[in-house]
Order: sequence, then structure tokens, then C-alpha cells
Amino acid sequence: MNPYPALVATVARHRGVLACLVVMEDDGIVVEAAAQIGVETAAFAALTASLYRKSARAAAAAGFGGVSFCELEAERGRVLAAGRNGLVMVAVAEPKVNLGLLRLELLRAAAGL
Amino acid sequence: MIRHTLTVGWADAPLKHFVDDARLQVAILMHTSGQVLAQVGFQRSLDVQTACALSAAINASAEHLGTMVDGTPFRGLHYAGMERQIYLGQVPSPDALLLVLAVFDSESSLGIVQLYVKELQANIAAAVPSSTDHEPALAENFETDLNRNLAQLFGRG
Repeated sequence: MNPYPALVATVARHRGVLACLVVMEDDGIVVEAAAQIGVETAAFAALTASLYRKSARAAAAAGFGGVSFCELEAERGRVLAAGRNGLVMVAVAEPKVNLGLLRLELLRAAAGL
Repeated sequence: MIRHTLTVGWADAPLKHFVDDARLQVAILMHTSGQVLAQVGFQRSLDVQTACALSAAINASAEHLGTMVDGTPFRGLHYAGMERQIYLGQVPSPDALLLVLAVFDSESSLGIVQLYVKELQANIAAAVPSSTDHEPALAENFETDLNRNLAQLFGRG
């Protein structure tokens, strides 16, 4: 049974979350997604997977070990990503989202990847 | 030989933009016949000719195979090697269907390349000159040259 729709749904149901995706880390291709209308999931997937990969390389180069979570804060929103087993779970959220709760939920969901 | 020198200036800027944005190592924009329009990253013209001939052949095979098994041509091919990957995609222009061959490594990804191919399609559509502005680009004996070139490539020439 495909576990990803349930994992995505647990994150996507939170208030302020615009999209939640499971993305292949190396390819940036969407595996599973739930998004509000207007969110370009393919672009988000490709660019966030790239960001996550490069964050991991930066952390490795600095001798910090592997990356398990990264967050991008922008003027009108936030992108959070947590990865495991070659997959990255990405949440796209409004600035007013409950960040602590979302982060917790994303890490919990990513543990199921 | 294929007239690889028939690159046209209007396609250079969109392709260079595509290469920079998608972090590619090599890219070629060509007609479906294998005639090159623009290239970035190749050092030798023979490599360009070879890549174009093979890409055109792959595209033709995928179109026919797709039509045969799925009713519509297959569009877009991705192949991942140990270190490098290729993506062969179609770029519709007002005059003709074009092909783009992108070669990339771990600096980029399939998702990134597909994302910027869409942008390339828009940029090519905006940059392509009117068909009345120039003569047909194909030489009269282009097909014969292409077949001879392919035969040489595979050691039958």
C-alpha cells in the first residue's frame, strides 16, 4: 500500500499550509502532492529538492554531518523540508502558520518516508 | 556531412540562458532532422554532429514506438548514467518542432531541467524569426548526408 498520501495529508491539513509534497531528492520529481489551486507543485518540488541537496552538501563540507531539516523564510511564506531515504517532504506555508506545530508534524511525517 | 555550421544566432541566447539556469554541462537545440540550431558546451564539431544525429534518431524511434504502443508519440526521454544524465525534450516553435538535448550531472536534476525546458519553450517561441525572413535551412542532399553520416558512425560507411 502506498503510504505517501496519508503522510502528505497529515501535514497538508494544518491551517496555513498551502501545499505538501513528497519529492525525490536526487531528481526533484513529485512522488505525492496535495496543494491548493495556484501552487505550482512541479516547480516547488524541483527547486526545493535542489535547495535541500545543496544544503546537505554545504553541511557536509562544513563537517556538520547530514541534514534532516531545512527551512526557508521569505517575505510572503515559508518552505520547510525534511528528508529521509532519498525522499524529501516539503511543506509550503503562509507566514502566519503555527511554525512549531508544522515543524513537529513535518519531522514526524518524514520519519515515515 | 551534416552542415553543423548552420547555427543560427537567434537561438544562442535562449539556449545559453537555459544552460545557465538549469546548471547544465552541455545542451544542443536542433531540428528533428538532426540539424543543429545552437549548442553550448561542446568543444568539437564532430561531437555536435554525432549528438545531433543520435538525438534525431532517438526522437524518431520514440515517436514511432509511442504511436505504436500508446497511440501517441512519446515525448521526452531521460537517461541516468553513473555520473551524467541526459534529457531529450521537444520544443515547439511557431515554424517547426525542435529538439533540445541537455546533459547534466549532480549539480542539476531532472526536475530542474524539465522546469527550465518550459521556460526555454517560451523563450524560443518569442525569439524565433518569421519563416518568411529566411530560406529553408536544409541542404538538398541533407537526408543522404545524414544517412551517410549515421552509417559512418556505426562503422558501415
